[in-house]
Amino acid sequence: MTSQNGTPNREGSLSSILRFILRFFLPLFFVVVSTLTLSACSAPERLSVSGSTTVLPAVSRAAESYSESSGQRITVNAGGSGSGFNQLAEGQTDIGMMSRDITKGERAQFPKLTFNTLAVGRDAVAPAVSSEIYDAGVTALTLDKIAEIYRGEIKNWSELGGPDVDIFVIDKEASSGTRQTFMEVVMGNSKADAAGADLVIGSNNEEQTALTQSNAAIGMLSIAWLNEDVKGLSVITENGARIAPTLASVKSGQFPIVRDLNIVVRGDISPAAQRFVDYILSEDGQTHVTASGYIPVR
Amino acid sequence: MMTDAAVIMPKRSVKFDGIRAYARLSILITLLIITLILGTLIIQSGPAIFAASESLFTTNWKPSEGVYGIVPMVFGSLFVMLLAMAIALPIGGFAALAISRIKSLRAKRAWRSALEILAGIPSIVYGLIGVAYVSLWVAGAFDLQSGRIILSAGLILSVMILPTFLSLSEDAISTVPAAFRENAQALGLHDYEVELNVILPAAAPAIASAALLSLGRALGETMAVMLVIGSLDRLPSPLFNPLSSGQTITSKLGREVGESAFGSTHFSVLVLMSLILVALTIGLTILSQRLFKQGASR
Repeated sequence: MTSQNGTPNREGSLSSILRFILRFFLPLFFVVVSTLTLSACSAPERLSVSGSTTVLPAVSRAAESYSESSGQRITVNAGGSGSGFNQLAEGQTDIGMMSRDITKGERAQFPKLTFNTLAVGRDAVAPAVSSEIYDAGVTALTLDKIAEIYRGEIKNWSELGGPDVDIFVIDKEASSGTRQTFMEVVMGNSKADAAGADLVIGSNNEEQTALTQSNAAIGMLSIAWLNEDVKGLSVITENGARIAPTLASVKSGQFPIVRDLNIVVRGDISPAAQRFVDYILSEDGQTHVTASGYIPVR
Repeated sequence: MMTDAAVIMPKRSVKFDGIRAYARLSILITLLIITLILGTLIIQSGPAIFAASESLFTTNWKPSEGVYGIVPMVFGSLFVMLLAMAIALPIGGFAALAISRIKSLRAKRAWRSALEILAGIPSIVYGLIGVAYVSLWVAGAFDLQSGRIILSAGLILSVMILPTFLSLSEDAISTVPAAFRENAQALGLHDYEVELNVILPAAAPAIASAALLSLGRALGETMAVMLVIGSLDRLPSPLFNPLSSGQTITSKLGREVGESAFGSTHFSVLVLMSLILVALTIGLTILSQRLFKQGASR
């Protein structure tokens, strides 16, 4: 009797589980699927912009004001210049943001596609140090000295007139636009190896945090990200002039480590994406570039 | 009896067929997913083995020059894993013993649910705590410029795997027959002798299996590790120095998958690394199941 009582009971609980699944999950499943299908068919196209964290502040401000005025929905994602290009090429995003040019190698990977690069602003990359080092008197360096630090040839701040502490060298991921611009000018090769690096980080936020947390660090930072705790060094040119990383010196072309902030699009760009690109380049759109601490292109 | 069976059988077969079909379909889908993942990993990692075979087992990682040495990442993964186990095993083992000795059922249940909550905290939360606090404590404790080092990653991982390991080993200890303890006590052994010489050895295979399962979790953890490990693609020097920055397979994937174009050698090498990771995890799981069976059959 016990086994006979046991079997129907277990069967009962199993079928009640099945009924539960049928009653709750299946309808839920259909609702989700039908919502997805519907939204894919009828909703106004949502624009996606993705890439460099340097270009991001300007584009995301522009996107906010553009959505308000036009009703176009826009998603802006970070990910870095390399990621921005790849997502664009693979069709995962409508517009890529890059703080450098597309490399030959990148173009070669997608021979069938055409890409257009548009500068939306200008920016400078400053050698940045922890405020303790700046306050101790290291406020300017030549490009050669910076290169020696990154090659691991100068290891202590005392060699540069600073306190007797080891230099903590912060490098960035190889695909970062900030790094490629910096290395191009400082080391003469955008992909130069930094043998002296103690830490490799990804985005501008991470760089800022790492520089703040340390008291003897040097890194590279877009000038829009400099602040009280993270000071930009002046660059000493060959004739001995000290050029501070300011908007004025970038505008006048004196500061050496500069780059264009680009958005990249494919030849087969959608009309909606084109309209947003036009907006960024318009006079109104360019105010957001200025508001983000960069230099407008018009 | 006859009537009983006649009443139950037809009902049972209709319901059971439905449930059985549903269950079989679920099994098939699961199998299909596993096969697809493994198949994709194996096929996609093929190009890496052919195109990068010379550099694959070196310690240099320079995608821009076509040099893909994966040794630092594999070493980093294993090192961080071992470090986490070295911290978590003793703590977890003794804590499990302590919890198993709690007599009050309510207190025991409270401990267990606390553990489950700990296990349920999303890993990014551990990562944030790691960047904001742990890395700073570690930097302060060892007088370092930055706490984004292998040791910090090991510390955070040990906290993350502790709940899994603890609750599994507590189960293992609780299933040791009460007669073992009673007999040992009847022989006049001290409490600690009972625990160390009788209970622990009896539960050892199951505890070891719990340890291996937690190892699998440690290997696969990405976010928390990526934020604190420093992302330096270099072997530590000296080799077993936990105070230097490093890179694990997961942190490498997290940082670079977005940057590599689908189908490139770079991408393929990243897939090869994930294949190694999956193989390690599968190996650990199988080993853990063997040990568990061994423990159960004794």
